[in-house]
Amino acid sequence: MSNNIAFQSVKNLRSMLQRGEVTPVELVDTFAERIERHNPQSKAFITTTIDTAREQASRLSRGDLNGSSFAGIPYASKDLFDVQGVRTSAGSRAFHDRIAKKDAFAIAKLRAAQAVSLGKTNLHEFAYGATGENEVYGTAVNAYDPTRLAGGSSSGSAAAVAFGLVPAALGTDTGGSVRAPAALNGLVGFKPTIGRVPTSGVVPYCWTLDHVGLMTRTIADCADLLTIVSGYDPSDPASVNRTVENYPEALDQDISGLRVGIPSNFYYERADDEILEALERVKEYLVANGAKLMPVTFPDMEHSRTVSLTVQMPEALSAHSAYLQERGDLYSADFRAGLALGQCILAEHYVKAKRFIEIYRQQTNRLFDQVDLILTPATPEIAQKVGTVKVTRNGVNEAIGNAITRFTTFFNMTGHPALAMPCAMHTQGLPIALQLVGRYFDEMTVLRAAHAIERSDQFSIPLPKVDV
Amino acid sequence: MQRLKKATLTGICAQMASHGWSEEEINELVDPRLGLITGFQDLLNELEQLRKIDLGTTPPAMSVQGADRHE
Repeated sequence: MSNNIAFQSVKNLRSMLQRGEVTPVELVDTFAERIERHNPQSKAFITTTIDTAREQASRLSRGDLNGSSFAGIPYASKDLFDVQGVRTSAGSRAFHDRIAKKDAFAIAKLRAAQAVSLGKTNLHEFAYGATGENEVYGTAVNAYDPTRLAGGSSSGSAAAVAFGLVPAALGTDTGGSVRAPAALNGLVGFKPTIGRVPTSGVVPYCWTLDHVGLMTRTIADCADLLTIVSGYDPSDPASVNRTVENYPEALDQDISGLRVGIPSNFYYERADDEILEALERVKEYLVANGAKLMPVTFPDMEHSRTVSLTVQMPEALSAHSAYLQERGDLYSADFRAGLALGQCILAEHYVKAKRFIEIYRQQTNRLFDQVDLILTPATPEIAQKVGTVKVTRNGVNEAIGNAITRFTTFFNMTGHPALAMPCAMHTQGLPIALQLVGRYFDEMTVLRAAHAIERSDQFSIPLPKVDV
Repeated sequence: MQRLKKATLTGICAQMASHGWSEEEINELVDPRLGLITGFQDLLNELEQLRKIDLGTTPPAMSVQGADRHE
């Protein structure tokens, strides 16, 4: 049964449940067996909760399975999300004994939808880096080539879905930490508009840039999951009280007349040639289906990474201040050094960076006066080997963490919804992905265009050969 | 702007409200070896460039309320 189930979409699994071809407990057991088999290599999970999952699944009636699109469906969450009664390690020794007293907002919504949590996934300690390297819990690897990085910081969530250990997972995205690993592993990764999914109950890294993100195999599953986890939580100052749309409704509308912005600067420069060629094919497809491509020029991107970092590190230091005093010796060396950097950034620098972010928002919003969506590559590089420190492209040396997230970071600052999805395979046998960015709270248009692209066979990619 | 010296950071951390950073961590800021996203001197150089850019009366970005307002 394992191979019939492992790589199915949530939608297909739900149909199988409703037809009685499989029970919720059999789903749990199938994925549990796969986790046991593949976790030693993938390093996807830090904690599994199989017994609890089996118990929860056994209580579901046939009627319950019609209750939501995720009823009886196993999933996993990055180990920053609180799940009541389960440790939230944040990928760190410092949180080795932190047991969650209540569910994070998104987890509570999934619990109410009768989804079944199988456990907590690996990450770069406290979501600090984009490689997913973790000295405590090991480094999650790429399902298409285990000698390569899964990418991070939501490395375990990507590996869990890509290795067929769960059909969907939650992650967090502060600079691309959902979209980048999804892109490198051939998955759908969606960072909705800031405030659309509350971050309450998620260990913070940088309050003003953190987003909850989703990882799935298909756009339809992503739309279903977004409908479940979106909402308003007054305890989260970033949360926005507005109606949650029925996102799956958008999927079957055509894209004729859609105005798609193609950046004339930054996003199509200094990237792998095969990635740029794949994006050309996507553009041709969009035009053939009635979309109109329009050039757009982004604001000055030269300083955007500095701006992001200048906001990230002081906020991270503030978030960790109490823990540092209490158990600072349990933090890893690279994160402590980053926090020390946060200590030495001046308040004026932080405020200036926040003012730049306001400019970025205003300028990006003006682009959306002209277009409905913006299309970019998701990453400039394919998955790199574990241990890679620098990437060289067109004679420019760049830290791997910067390279992985170069095309994603900006939209955490502006807060616009941004989705990564596969669109080709590289000749090195690794996925290539595009990124679609939409207006604030216009997740519907992003999902509609993504679904139109997904429907075309020319952009589908083969599954990873993890079971041979 | 002069190049950053270890003694400067040590002095700041010792004489102002600060967490207790080890010598290795201060060294890492002055001479990064752990693969920090950006070395501190590089960051300071870029921050100095940002400081010189006049943003007029633009206020700091707010959180989501800002996103809502921009709709």
